[in-house]
Amino acid sequence: MASIDSLQFYSLCNLQSSIGRTKLQIPSSLVVFRRRHRNLKWVQVETNQKFVCKSIADDSSTPDEETQNDDNEEDNDVATTQSITASDSESSISRFRSMITTIAHDSESSILKLRSMVTTLPPVIFVMKKSSGNSVWIGISIVATVLLASLRAYAIRKSRDNRPPGSVSDLVRRGQLRSGDRRGISKSLNYEDPFNNPFVKLGKGSSTVEMCGKVYKLAPVTLTEKEQSIHQKRRSRAYQWKRPTVFLKEGDTVPPDVDPDTVRWIPANHPFATTVSDIDQDLAQNNVYQKQGVPFRIRAEHEAMQKKLEALQNEEKLNNLGIDSQNARDFQRPYKFSGKLEEDDDVQENHTGNSSSEETQKS
Amino acid sequence: MASPRLFSTCHQPPFLPPSPQRFVKSPAKRRPIRSALQFNRKPQLAGETPRIVVITSGKGGVGKTTTTANVGLSLARYGFSVVAIDADIGLRNLDLLLGLENRVNYTVVEVLNGDCRLDQALVRDKRWSNFELLCISKPRSKLPIGFGGKALEWLVEALKSRPEGSPDFIIIDCPAGIDAGFITAITPANEAVLVTTPDITALRDADRVIGLLECDGIRDIKMVVNRVRTDMIRGEDMMSVLDVQEMLGLSLLGVIPEDSEVIRSTNRGFPLVLNKPPTLAGLAFEQAAWRLVEQDSMKAVVVEEEPKKRGFFSFFGG
Repeated sequence: MASIDSLQFYSLCNLQSSIGRTKLQIPSSLVVFRRRHRNLKWVQVETNQKFVCKSIADDSSTPDEETQNDDNEEDNDVATTQSITASDSESSISRFRSMITTIAHDSESSILKLRSMVTTLPPVIFVMKKSSGNSVWIGISIVATVLLASLRAYAIRKSRDNRPPGSVSDLVRRGQLRSGDRRGISKSLNYEDPFNNPFVKLGKGSSTVEMCGKVYKLAPVTLTEKEQSIHQKRRSRAYQWKRPTVFLKEGDTVPPDVDPDTVRWIPANHPFATTVSDIDQDLAQNNVYQKQGVPFRIRAEHEAMQKKLEALQNEEKLNNLGIDSQNARDFQRPYKFSGKLEEDDDVQENHTGNSSSEETQKS
Repeated sequence: MASPRLFSTCHQPPFLPPSPQRFVKSPAKRRPIRSALQFNRKPQLAGETPRIVVITSGKGGVGKTTTTANVGLSLARYGFSVVAIDADIGLRNLDLLLGLENRVNYTVVEVLNGDCRLDQALVRDKRWSNFELLCISKPRSKLPIGFGGKALEWLVEALKSRPEGSPDFIIIDCPAGIDAGFITAITPANEAVLVTTPDITALRDADRVIGLLECDGIRDIKMVVNRVRTDMIRGEDMMSVLDVQEMLGLSLLGVIPEDSEVIRSTNRGFPLVLNKPPTLAGLAFEQAAWRLVEQDSMKAVVVEEEPKKRGFFSFFGG
């Protein structure tokens, strides 16, 4: 009977060979295996003929080589078979021979089976090559698309980080600047009202609103009229104030019929304290209500200037009265030019004399 | 496309007859209203004209002048005549935001002194002829401390009775603080817009200002929350708009998100609402102006930003 160890050893030997090897099925009655101290090895059955069991031919060490090697080694625990008589030996030999042939046949059949298995189970590469190229292209395209999308997203994210805020490109991206505006080809914006236009979009259910490309969550206002009145009462208790109607300088007495709460004291060093008496209130009111004509101060200045001019002109007349016009001619230098010029000068003098007399008459 | 009115509830089709609350101008003074933007409908003016609105905050730097400039120009684009008054005596900024600083020759002080008429002190915007700017004073001029409020009242009366007709809106840009300038600015106002940011310092000042306004008789007060950052709200580093509303107890006119375009527009002198593709903050200002016209308030607010849902093919760059 073959022990379990022997079967395991045999399987280990078979693993060294190519893929798809099957175990040789060896009748257990033929061979007795003994475990050695150190390793499992084939033990040759001591018979007249050496038992050589051929497994699948490969480069690895075959059991028969090991058995041949073991012949030279000393065996401590070698089982011996019972002695067989001559007649029995011949029958056993014949039986043995038949069994060997069956084993050989079995091995051959197993080899064939293995080979068939190898041919029927091709490796993956062979499958891919043999099958149609469509699925391959589909897979490649999917991978390429995913790669492209991820690269694009990465590039966009990086460009966003690098783009300076407030730049033209940033404004265009945010939707706050239209590229057509800069080129002068944009159309005027038509929006229905500030609450509902291309830049303000209410979400479904009116719980969100999109304004200028950003989505915001909305919440209803919770203030009630009762709460408002409560706040008003609180403030009326906290803040007691009356509008000041009387402005007094420090040191002035408070008039008897004036509410002290309406008096505002102006410190002496206040910059506005000096201008209290500068402006006449009635005059100021009239200035504000004036709708046509020259403003009051300008008219007053103009009138004052005119008076001054008239006064100056009167003084000049008084000064000019002391000089006789005919006597003034005697003191004139003789003209070196022709008589026509003298006549022109006479005419000019007459004109100037007339104009001055006209001015005096007008004033 | 249909527009579910999540933001406002006072939406009416354009062909309904006007309600009795709305002021109807006398036929002699009615001017044809033209809107440069192609709306399907125009916002319907509610309340009596002129509507005198003061934009105040208490705390400085929260965005009063920016709100005044952008809301004012939005109203002008809707076709309403607007006069914006910079009531800051001493620190004038509204002209810079509008890009009109080189055209301011006369101010209210010159009008009071008689150096010019009121129509000579009004600066008409060349982009929108129905928008005019009036500055109270130049940096070196002075106005008597008790005189400013009266002066503004006279101004409003003069604007109402001018030959070209009363303006639809008079918007007053209030200076920071609660001193003489604040008292001057709120004197002629019928309604107020309180601008605040979602931080505790601005909220405390805003609460005090609301109390003073209510003491002075101004009851119609609405709130604009400026410089809102949804990412910080999500991370609970900033109060949400609903928290702000809960603390102050005012109805919301608008919520303006933080936008770097505000700084660019300020430096260029080109208000946000005039940007050809509107920015986020510009759209918010336009919506706030719309609600101001219709005397409406917000019914839903933006809480946080959500990631945009993308389709399958967006993975491939679509």
